[in-house]
Formats: sequence, C-alpha cells, structure tokens
Amino acid sequence: MAEIAAPVAPPDTEKKEKTDPKETPDRGYLVICWNDPVNLMDYVTHVFQTVFGWPKAKAEHHMLQVHETGKSLLVRETFEKAEHYVHQLQSYGLHATMEREE
Amino acid sequence: MRFVRSQKSPGGEHPFVFHISKREKVVLLSTLRLYPLLDASYHQLSRDPKTAGRAEQEWLEEAMEQQRQDQKKKLDQFFGNDRLFFKDGKGELQLTLTGEQLEWLLRVLNEIRVGSWVRLGRPEMEAARKLQLSSEQAHFLASMELSGYFQAALLEAFG
Repeated sequence: MAEIAAPVAPPDTEKKEKTDPKETPDRGYLVICWNDPVNLMDYVTHVFQTVFGWPKAKAEHHMLQVHETGKSLLVRETFEKAEHYVHQLQSYGLHATMEREE
Repeated sequence: MRFVRSQKSPGGEHPFVFHISKREKVVLLSTLRLYPLLDASYHQLSRDPKTAGRAEQEWLEEAMEQQRQDQKKKLDQFFGNDRLFFKDGKGELQLTLTGEQLEWLLRVLNEIRVGSWVRLGRPEMEAARKLQLSSEQAHFLASMELSGYFQAALLEAFG
C-alpha cells in the first residue's frame, strides 16, 4: 500500500494566510430595506424568505422592523454580494439599497 | 378570488388552485395589461453615491429593464394560455398555477401596484384614498388596490 504523504505548506504561505489583512474579504457593506407604504407586509415577508432562505419567523421579524422603525439591516456583506442582494430585492419591487458601513 | 388547495400532479409538480369569478378574471387580466408601469430610473442601488458608482447604478437599471422585457414575454404567454383557467365540476371558474407561475404573477402584480403608487405621487395609503383624483389618477388608484387584492389572494397559498 502506498503511503500518502502529508502536504507540507511552505512556511511563508502559512504565515500569509494567518496575518495578511488583504486576504480578509471586506464585509463592510450593509443591505438595508427601507419602509414604503405600498408593499404588502405578507409579500415583504415572502420575499425575505425567498431571497435569503430565512425561516418565516426571521423574515417576519425584519419585515416588522422595516414597518415599525422605517428600515431594517438585512445582511452585512462584501460589495459583490451586497450588490447581488440589492438586485434581487429590487427585482421583487422592494425598496432596498446597499450602504457602506461607517 | 381565494386559494382553494395545492395538489400534487402526476408530473410531480404542486399546482396551486384558486377559485376566481368570471368578473375577477376580467379584472385580473385588465390589471395585468397595465404592465410595465415602472421605468429603470425608479431603481436606486445606494443612497450614498460614494458607495456605488455610476457603472454599478447603470448595471442595476439595465438588469431591471431586462427583467421587465422577460416578464412582458411571459405575460404575453399567460394571456394566450387558456388552460390556466378552467371550470370545475360545479361550473365554477378556477385558476391553476405552478409554483413558478405563482411567484412570477406575484412579482408582476407587485410591480403594477408599486408603479401605480409612483404615478399617484407616492402618497401614504390613507392619503391616497382621500386625494382629489383626476380620471387618470383614479385609474392608478384602482390598479394599485386591485393588484394588492390579487396579491393577497395569491399569498394565501403560502400559508
């Protein structure tokens, strides 16, 4: 039976993975849903479930937050993922934007 | 219009069955003929121009416009599909939708509702009902209310 050699990473590679901040994705983009008087509450809940795959209770929590406080922070993501979610939410007619976390 | 049941078909799909009166069918189809009511400029990627540039904003607008064209094609197919509406054993009219068709119809109706609201000047709901309306505005108030009525009936299917 042939032995399988354990992979050996060069020392500098291992160090880089642990310490280089450039390797950390910038998840400083907030996807926010804003209140409007036109989207039905049940519809907003349904869209949150569909787009994020959330259970109904979590989707309803965010829907009520939008309704009662005027907005809800839905997710904190990288630029590309936040942009993707805003496209999705807007394709359903929701008033959602992405904002840089301050 | 009201949700009746979801049933498994031989093909493995779960069609959603709705009872709909003849008058509601006429109103539903005439409401759907208003699509599209929103234009690309409605969509805003970010409130802060520093967060997203012009290119990203244009990409969003193009994506929404492409979606609108795709939805319009599906809508034309919907108008030409007589098999969606049929009479049951009691002679009552039913609308049968697959899950995909249900999702699509919800989105189209929502855009008609939002587009009507935009054309009314984006009023608060109670204020909209008290507006002194021109005949065109009355038309949009009606389409906003009617699309919401049909959306609520469709959403019943999700429990």
